[in-house]
Amino acid sequence: MSGPDERAAWIALAGVDGVGLAYFSTLVGQAGGAAPVLELARRGALGELPAGRRLPRAVHEAIRGAAHDPGRAQAELDQGGVWTITALDATYPPELTGLADPPPVLYGQGDPTTLAAPRRVSVVGTRRPSVLGRALAGAIARQLVELDAVVVSGLAFGIDGVAHAATVAAGGVTIGVIGSGHQRPGPRAHAGLVRDLLARGAVVGELAPHARPTRGTFPRRNRLLSALAQAVIVVEAPTRSGAVNTAHHALEQGKVLFAAPGRPGDRLTAGCLRLLRETEARPLVGLDELVADLADLWPALDPAIPGGRPGPRSGAVPTMSWADALTLLGPAERAVARVVGTGPAGLDRVIATTGLPPATAASATTVLQLRGWVTLVGATYVAAGPLARPP
Amino acid sequence: MLATLVTAVVDGLAGSLVRVEVDVAPGIPVTRLVGLPDAALSEARERVRGAIRNAGFEYPASRVTVNLAPADRPKRGAAYDLAIAVGILVASGQVRAGGGSWALLGELSLDGSLQAVSGVLPMVATLVRAGHRRIAVPAANAAEGRLVAGAEVVAVVGLDDAARLVAGPRGRRAAAAALRPAARVSAVDPAGDGQAAPSRPASLVAAVEPVDLADVRGQATARWALEIALAGCHNLLLVGPPGAGKTLLARAIPRLLPPLDDEEALEATVVASVAGLLAGAAGLCRDRPFRAPHHTSSYAALVGGGPRLAPGEVTLAHRGVLFLDELAEFDRDVLDALRQPLEDGSVTIARAAGQVRYPARLQLVAAMNPCRCGFAGDLSRPCRCASGEPERYVRRVSGPLLDRLDLRVEMERVPPAALLEGDPPEGSAVVAARIVAARALARDRNGGVPNALLSGSAILRLGGFDGRARRRLEDVATRQLLTARGVHRLARVARTIADLGGHPGVDEATILAAANLRDPAGRPWELAA
Repeated sequence: MSGPDERAAWIALAGVDGVGLAYFSTLVGQAGGAAPVLELARRGALGELPAGRRLPRAVHEAIRGAAHDPGRAQAELDQGGVWTITALDATYPPELTGLADPPPVLYGQGDPTTLAAPRRVSVVGTRRPSVLGRALAGAIARQLVELDAVVVSGLAFGIDGVAHAATVAAGGVTIGVIGSGHQRPGPRAHAGLVRDLLARGAVVGELAPHARPTRGTFPRRNRLLSALAQAVIVVEAPTRSGAVNTAHHALEQGKVLFAAPGRPGDRLTAGCLRLLRETEARPLVGLDELVADLADLWPALDPAIPGGRPGPRSGAVPTMSWADALTLLGPAERAVARVVGTGPAGLDRVIATTGLPPATAASATTVLQLRGWVTLVGATYVAAGPLARPP
Repeated sequence: MLATLVTAVVDGLAGSLVRVEVDVAPGIPVTRLVGLPDAALSEARERVRGAIRNAGFEYPASRVTVNLAPADRPKRGAAYDLAIAVGILVASGQVRAGGGSWALLGELSLDGSLQAVSGVLPMVATLVRAGHRRIAVPAANAAEGRLVAGAEVVAVVGLDDAARLVAGPRGRRAAAAALRPAARVSAVDPAGDGQAAPSRPASLVAAVEPVDLADVRGQATARWALEIALAGCHNLLLVGPPGAGKTLLARAIPRLLPPLDDEEALEATVVASVAGLLAGAAGLCRDRPFRAPHHTSSYAALVGGGPRLAPGEVTLAHRGVLFLDELAEFDRDVLDALRQPLEDGSVTIARAAGQVRYPARLQLVAAMNPCRCGFAGDLSRPCRCASGEPERYVRRVSGPLLDRLDLRVEMERVPPAALLEGDPPEGSAVVAARIVAARALARDRNGGVPNALLSGSAILRLGGFDGRARRRLEDVATRQLLTARGVHRLARVARTIADLGGHPGVDEATILAAANLRDPAGRPWELAA
């Protein structure tokens, strides 16, 4: 059974509080569609279904309410500017149909076509990353933008936020997969980020706009976070964390999984190290290696990216070496590049190591920043571009 | 019988003349005080009664009416006590006014001795301007009163001293005869200078343990930013974990500030006088003010107010530096109240008791932790705050306030090795000399205004930016999405960096150096990556 009425009924039923994935699929399965479920409810005859007899009273009443006012769910969507893709629609992402528990309805804001972009990579990690983790997440996101890939993440604080923000800043497209309703997508502090992200990207989730997140909604969301991408990169994650949970979903779904290694004994990367030891996750050795590994995944990446933009490994733009890069710099910049090239450093360390006057060191560091060879994370400068490949 | 004496009231930083009229007439023995007195002044009745008795005089058993004129002006405080008491003595015939006209200032104790009062400097200045050159003040306020040119200030210790002055040489015998042997008031000293020399120089510098920059290891960026801030009067925010040395650096500020010039010193001394900080102090406040109120300070303490509409720390820091440690821990109301002084250089306190406007041209130096536990962004220690909490913590300081700061420095803890090895860094004397030279350069170019207070158009006109510098300014503004305010701020900071180097112009490298110092209203942590 399908058609416009069934689709509307599908959205109305999925938006009822208390109707989760299990009730939805059981009721729709037993009644032969969502419209018949609502019809039964309107007559007060849900009890005719085997599952209907076991429904809690409150849920029963809620379905009846929705049945008597079938336009309400759509009105809520229209009001919030939220679009839907149901499993009945042709645009439903094919990756989701393979899930054990596909969401009946995807709710989204922004550009729905991003879900079908040819290249999508999830970047996930802890809510409380180290400075280096932030730097890495930002660098990965910028690299992915350069590869014309869509960056998928969870809109949480920490790695997620950095990945989204760096993508937006680099002019890329990013998708936020949320575990709440669209009325509160992510933490309030990310309202500005969500606004910027929606200019070119999208926010999607499986809960109706008014739904409040509960204990289970975020872990369940993680299966979408991995499913909507072709590869998942875990940047920094403690052993028990949402990012590790996402990584396991990725493995179950047969996605390519990368984990950034850390030092043994470091709590923040313990989850990544365990993934590397116990699963087939690949270590994230460097950005060049990441590009090479992704090239295996996307054959079109090498030699040229569709869309006409040459990729960094296409041969058109040869990768600049560390030594070549240094020759392009003035003496003060070169001195600063040597310091930041050997590891993250604040301006204090740059001044102390180079012995340059503060104004000169600051000026040289800004030059490197403007070249994109040094990025600022908190108060720390981290090498990027050719400076990230010291001999 | 009627007696009229002159005293003064202070309103804001200005004084105004008050006439005390006392009428003692036969009738039921009551004392009435009229002319808009406040609570402290109404209690003058009891203080005056006690002081008159204990100084060896008699309180008249008659109807006493005290009028403070002009009657429409509200009057605060206890500085009228002496004039009222002497007025009663004259009106009741115990003292014959043969000593010419005296203006009287001072609060009385019950034993007849005089207490220091606040605002003596502006009050004396007002009296002198009105032609009352002979003024009696409490001994502790004498040094401050004598700062006013043309004033003939006599220090008095007690009510009997004042009575002797008013009685003059001929009336002295009569007054002395009225003294009982039991009176516990010290006699007037021949020099008329009731007290030993004041013990300390007048100052609005908070009592912090002074630090020399030679003792601040590492922190090259923060030292540099502090030098720029003090040279150009830029408001500075230091952000860093506990133990990074934020407070240490701030304690070095007093020694780095150039002294006040004559005009500024007089302004500062008037402020100190009105705040009641000059008792027992000598001379003008020559050192540039440095105030460091604790983060538990109340609104009234910081901004000014209270029953006496006293000036707050923002006014005490006028022409100097206000240091707020743990900025995020201050009350939000208190922080938001800082916006007016940072914007117009003055603060208006409005209460039911009236409205006063105090000057508050201050430079703000603030310090805060990046989060509640203090370790967000630290490379060596994990932050223990719940997720999202660092962002909330930083947001306690409102955007509009942050936008009024010019420089932000993220400080890291100094590695222990750096604390021990190497030569000591530059000392305060060297840095202070550069700051003085840079300020002089800016003053001459800007017409007396520090760089931070130049308008946007003035900085671009006067700054001496060469063509490449202007293009780079545009380039940085475009890349960093700077607002007009941000561009001007960048230009001002660059100008100060050039001033510190002694350069008349601003080149491209200086703009790039300034761009490296961060805009405090800048992007939050999440977006900084």
